[in-house]
Amino acid sequence: MSDAVIAAPANVPLFRPVVWLAIIIGLLALGLAPLGITPYWLRVFTTVLMYVIITQGLNVIVGITGYHAFGNGVFFGIGAYACGASMAAGMPFAAGVVVAIAISALCALVLGWPILRLKGHYFAIATVALNLAAIQIIIQIGGITGGAQGLALPLSDWEPKPLYIAIYYLMLGGAVASTAIVAVLLKMPLGFALRAIRDSERATAVMGIDTTRAKVYAWAISAGLTGFAGAVWAYWITFIEPSSAFDPGVGVKAYIMLIIGGMGSILGPVIGAFVMEVVSTLVWGGFLKAHQLILGLLIVVICLVAPNGIIEAGARVVRSWRSRDGAA
Amino acid sequence: MLAQATVNGILLGGLYGLATVGFSMVWGVMGVINLAHTSFIMLGAYVTYFLFERLGMDPIVSMPFAMASMFVLGYAIQRVILNRVIRTSLLLSLVVTFGIELILTDATILAFTSDVRSVNASYASRSVELFGTLVPLVRLLAAGLSLLLGIAFFVFLRSASLGQAILATALDREMSNLMGINPQKVFALTAGAGAALAGAAGSLSSMLFPVSPTMGVSFVAAVFVITVLGGIGSVEGCIVAGFLYGLVQAWAAYFLGTSYQEIVAFALFLAVLVVRPQGLFGRAFFGEHA
Repeated sequence: MSDAVIAAPANVPLFRPVVWLAIIIGLLALGLAPLGITPYWLRVFTTVLMYVIITQGLNVIVGITGYHAFGNGVFFGIGAYACGASMAAGMPFAAGVVVAIAISALCALVLGWPILRLKGHYFAIATVALNLAAIQIIIQIGGITGGAQGLALPLSDWEPKPLYIAIYYLMLGGAVASTAIVAVLLKMPLGFALRAIRDSERATAVMGIDTTRAKVYAWAISAGLTGFAGAVWAYWITFIEPSSAFDPGVGVKAYIMLIIGGMGSILGPVIGAFVMEVVSTLVWGGFLKAHQLILGLLIVVICLVAPNGIIEAGARVVRSWRSRDGAA
Repeated sequence: MLAQATVNGILLGGLYGLATVGFSMVWGVMGVINLAHTSFIMLGAYVTYFLFERLGMDPIVSMPFAMASMFVLGYAIQRVILNRVIRTSLLLSLVVTFGIELILTDATILAFTSDVRSVNASYASRSVELFGTLVPLVRLLAAGLSLLLGIAFFVFLRSASLGQAILATALDREMSNLMGINPQKVFALTAGAGAALAGAAGSLSSMLFPVSPTMGVSFVAAVFVITVLGGIGSVEGCIVAGFLYGLVQAWAAYFLGTSYQEIVAFALFLAVLVVRPQGLFGRAFFGEHA
């Protein structure tokens, strides 16, 4: 990437002052929140922040690069298991998190070389296949992963209340860091290369950029972020099993949050995660029996009512469809 | 034993092939990956279960009812929801069909509870001898009817004018539109037909497998692998790849153990995607450009 001749435009402010003000107020509110909310809402907001991290991870590969990693939740599971297995082997939590980030990113590097050469739908379903295959692989490995029986992580000797608050702050830190990483990435040569790939991969290659390498790096960043969320999540719930850690719903939910918030933007995933998770929590509380049904309805309605401007790349599809409407 | 496993695998593969045809056609014609497809299989099984339980209707007699009801459902979902969504972004359809899958599964749980049901036809315990192996009659029936329906759909696509409209739209949407074919109608028709075939597969599988709201999950791997293996949008590819998939699964279970079945399936899937993404029989259908 270093040989790419792309310069970042000078002195373009990242956000307008109003947005900066909103960010500062939001961060202050989130930072002080654990002092004044019930344990139930602490859990809800910890989950929201976890999804901010996962959705930002997805934003890097889907929103910025345009590769629809529908099964990106696989890295959530890899992170959870890497952290869980490390801790089961006697490592401290902090080391487990580092191992989780490293292994997730490494998996993306290795898997990315063949898989990121696939385009469009093919890449999307290959990642789904990875996600589903991972469940079976963990069950087969057994040993330190616990296999089908699941894996219990060593319990912390902290009291539950400070522990949960600490995990909240860990997720908050991760959410802020992942958002900052996306913001910085967009200003870096790699970020420009990735956006160029999203708009036209062939043209990007003609410009002298090694597109496969750029895509693999993007996926590794995405995987590292998602793996971090998985690692903290594993320590938070203390018991993981293949079907919960590699739940394809994790990746899909993040994808929906990304659509709601706006792909490729810096703050979109944050807004999407908050809206989606808070709404689905309220739905869950209000309709215990039919919450999946209501959630499904919400997803369908969101996609029907506000599909325009959701995906920038969709604009091209719309234009090609306009010509069809003119003929009909 | 190997002969037994081989025959059983091939017969099951026939059913998997039928379960996939609709999914593959919908993908090939309009570029939609329909994650709700396995719900149609599940609902088809429930229609058969309901008619069996209430009226004592034989699964094979109730199959047309399952197909008709799934056709209506598939057609309606395409007309009301998906046709609007695929104008904007094809990949949005992944999310929408995921939502539809949630709705259909949860609605089934609310209507029938999550209890596991079974459909036992009067001939369920009978077996026939085939190439020196003992084959359950229901498996033979399921495979035979699946093959028959697959061939019928293949013939329909090539000889009926509606079928040719579907094929034409799959091959070149703009040109077929200029020939006076309305894509919106063709999409709804394809989705309806695809759902009907899935319903038939569900109906047949209710004789072989337990019926539950989450039974569709067990078809997900098969449906994806067979679609890619056979080539997206290819009916004949689906049928052949279905048998092949059944065979590979049976051999994986025989030589490596049942727990390796899924891993072998996914390995095959990724290998085909990377080495030959157009599949064994794939051609330049619309879905491949999407």
